[in-house]
Amino acid sequence: MSSPVQDLSVLHQRREQRLMLALALPALLVILLLVVLPVGWLAWQSVYHNGFTLENYRRIWSEDIYWRSFALTFEISLLVTLLALLLGYPIAYAASVAPKRWGIIILALVVLPFWTSVLVRAYAWLALLQRTGVINQLLLQLGVIDEPLALVHNTFGTVVATLHILLPFMVLPLYATMQQIPRDLMQAGASLGAGPMLTFWRIFLPLSLPGVLAGCTLVFVLTLGFYITPELLGGGRTIMISMLVSRNVELYDQWGAASAVGVVLLVAVGAIFFAVSRFIPLDRVLGQK
Amino acid sequence: MMITSCCRRALLGVSLGVLATLSALPANADQITFVSQGGAYQKAQTVAILDPSAKKLGITINQDSIPDAWPAIKSQVASGKPTWDVVDVPTGYCLRGGEQGLLEKLDFSKLPNAAAMPEAYRSPYSVAYEFYSSVLAYSQKKFAAGAAPNSWADFWDVKKFPGRRALRNHPIATLEAALMADGVAPDKLYPLDVDRAFKKLEEIKPNITVWWTSGAQSAQLLNDGEVDMVMAWNGRVSALTKEGAKVAFTYNQGILQSTSLCILKDAPNLATAVRFLNEAVDPVHQANLPLLIDYGPANPKAFDTGVIKPERVAQLPSAPENAAKQALMSYAWWSSPAGEAAEKRWIGFMQK
Amino acid sequence: MTMPRAYRIAFVVFCALVLLYLILPILIIAPMSFSAARYLSFPPPSLSLRWYQEYIGNPAWMQATRVTLTVAVLTVVIATPLGVAAAYAISQSKWRIMRLIHMTLLLPLVVPIIITAVGIFFVFAKVGLAATMTGLVLANVMLGLPYVVISVVAGLQSFDATQEMVARSLGMNRLRSFFVVTLPQIKPSVIAGGIFAFISAMDETIVALFISGGQYQPLTKRMFTALRDEIDPTIAAISTLMTAVSFMLVLVAPTRSRKSA
Repeated sequence: MSSPVQDLSVLHQRREQRLMLALALPALLVILLLVVLPVGWLAWQSVYHNGFTLENYRRIWSEDIYWRSFALTFEISLLVTLLALLLGYPIAYAASVAPKRWGIIILALVVLPFWTSVLVRAYAWLALLQRTGVINQLLLQLGVIDEPLALVHNTFGTVVATLHILLPFMVLPLYATMQQIPRDLMQAGASLGAGPMLTFWRIFLPLSLPGVLAGCTLVFVLTLGFYITPELLGGGRTIMISMLVSRNVELYDQWGAASAVGVVLLVAVGAIFFAVSRFIPLDRVLGQK
Repeated sequence: MMITSCCRRALLGVSLGVLATLSALPANADQITFVSQGGAYQKAQTVAILDPSAKKLGITINQDSIPDAWPAIKSQVASGKPTWDVVDVPTGYCLRGGEQGLLEKLDFSKLPNAAAMPEAYRSPYSVAYEFYSSVLAYSQKKFAAGAAPNSWADFWDVKKFPGRRALRNHPIATLEAALMADGVAPDKLYPLDVDRAFKKLEEIKPNITVWWTSGAQSAQLLNDGEVDMVMAWNGRVSALTKEGAKVAFTYNQGILQSTSLCILKDAPNLATAVRFLNEAVDPVHQANLPLLIDYGPANPKAFDTGVIKPERVAQLPSAPENAAKQALMSYAWWSSPAGEAAEKRWIGFMQK
Repeated sequence: MTMPRAYRIAFVVFCALVLLYLILPILIIAPMSFSAARYLSFPPPSLSLRWYQEYIGNPAWMQATRVTLTVAVLTVVIATPLGVAAAYAISQSKWRIMRLIHMTLLLPLVVPIIITAVGIFFVFAKVGLAATMTGLVLANVMLGLPYVVISVVAGLQSFDATQEMVARSLGMNRLRSFFVVTLPQIKPSVIAGGIFAFISAMDETIVALFISGGQYQPLTKRMFTALRDEIDPTIAAISTLMTAVSFMLVLVAPTRSRKSA
């Protein structure tokens, strides 16, 4: 029972839809060909080698090296996320409550490292942290220590450099969320007689939680896939999952095993994003990058 | 306006790419692509071997460099259209590549220079190209001349030789060193007792500060005082000495290793590649290499050419006198199933 | 908001320390690049330009620089229009499939880079795109697209779509009204997205490690292999130069766009 007018509008809507699809298509095609297809191939390769096989997954399940790497990677990711929150929250808070000029300066300092290649920063950390490096020399001269500390070529060095790279990914979403917290709400709290600490705990902190969730998700997931810093600063002992993947491809030419490890990592990341998306929209999490 | 110009550029880019692939297809018989590991080593080869060979044969040698050629070799051959012809890689990869059908089988009747080399320096798929050694190097600031570590047993002896240590994050040569530290004679190493080697490595593991992953790193660690003792490649250590660093090494119980030349399966310029392969192990070219870098010639006849002065010979890893103190790496063992199993065990050992 | 004085001071000191941590490695790179010594000595024992000479005098570094700049420029030139078109479609259409498309376009940010890299490595090896310029550009367009999409979608959200409707009702066709009315207003977000795609292409390392080779190796890959070959301050010199160039670019871009607007 459609009137001609409705037909026309349906027709118009169809045309509109086709146009929009056509506009999005080139970009979509790039992603399909360069992300979906390769990852799909990876998944296929992990289960198919002259016939279907779960051998690669059985191996991940039963061999210690995979377990240990996954465990270490999750530990480091958790540690980096917590540290990033601990260091990043006050910075974001300072940037959002400070006078505008100071806020801009703080944010500029936070994004400044983005301009320097991750590789070069790893190299700079080596110069800072090694035995004859800046930090150890300084501490020795100040008499704080008698022997140089082992600050690099271990998990500590990896965490310091990884945290350095990912801290901005915590600060920026936090800052974006804090910016949107209405100031008069805080003032209202204060006028009702609540002290500054109480206002912070009761009003500011809960309202900033979406930012905390977004920042933590980003940092955690990015650390899960980290490669350069553990490779260059881990001293060989800090074997994270991504290194296992690349080593399986490069040295041992076990492409099936590498693919299976990749798929497991991907599933973990997918699960995290899915869980988080129940609380805040995904494009919000990513959009504040 | 902006969009059209973008599209034009994109089209241009794509068509250029297509053109590049098309023009690469008809194989030019007079050129090859040679791949080595880069850095000072590749520069030295260019002067000593590549440029003279190109001149003599009247060919063009295009060079490429990559630290880990193995995965690229695999993917190039798998694609069916390799772009490389000749690669210079640790000999083990040539043996493995030969087994996996990634390399051309060599016809030694076309390779007189190679055919004249000792059998142990050849395989059906490869010819040895140069020798280097994994040696025990140490800081002279930490250890005086008379009291320096001189064997792998000394390296393992943390009481007599206190100090920070580094080993390579790789089983090849490291397992050999562990066995020698445990008392196995350098000429009785193979087949390696893998369990015994890993057990000995467990012993030293708490005292290893860094497991290095690149030659540059091993040199930097020693130079900057990060470690006092390290297993490193002889050329890396002598480069430091030349720059004035207070470091030294011993050939005693060094592990003598080689790289070899091999040709990729279905290489685009196969015939020229074979001609080059023969020329590259020519005794005179080979003798020129050690004049520029601290690696030894693979063709023993190089020592008879008179190009290398006796005092220079004494510094080279493959000089007969030095070779006698060392263990000769068996790449055949490392590419056997037992060797591959030992290699795979490494990551598990590192994580513990 | 007032805090007790002692807390306040502690808070400021803490923040200053965190900021110091963030910029310390950046601060030592430039002085290190002027060092006369090899290896990682800081402060430099004496000053020289030898690492700048090493960089500029080496054809391999120069070739890598050309590759990186070409890839970065092509990435922006391709990813920006694709991203803007997609972002426009996403924000205009209320169709549910568009939401799915939106999510798909953000995938490169979600999938751990090592997985994307290995996957692309397998696919490129099969189709002969490994070690080619085309392959490198395609991969970087993919990695840069999400930044353009995110930035432009955000820009379009704050843009009043009825303005374009008005333009169209005045007889302009859709394309024209987009270029005349919409684009000038979302220009800052288009530029921001483009700059992000550019930086991402300049800095991308891991995918390049797997798929680039031969004469088409970008700077980052050369730097990674250089670190394995010789640890010396050349990469500090390169980084210092690159930072200087990017800063100039950022300083120039907004002023120029303002003038032309």
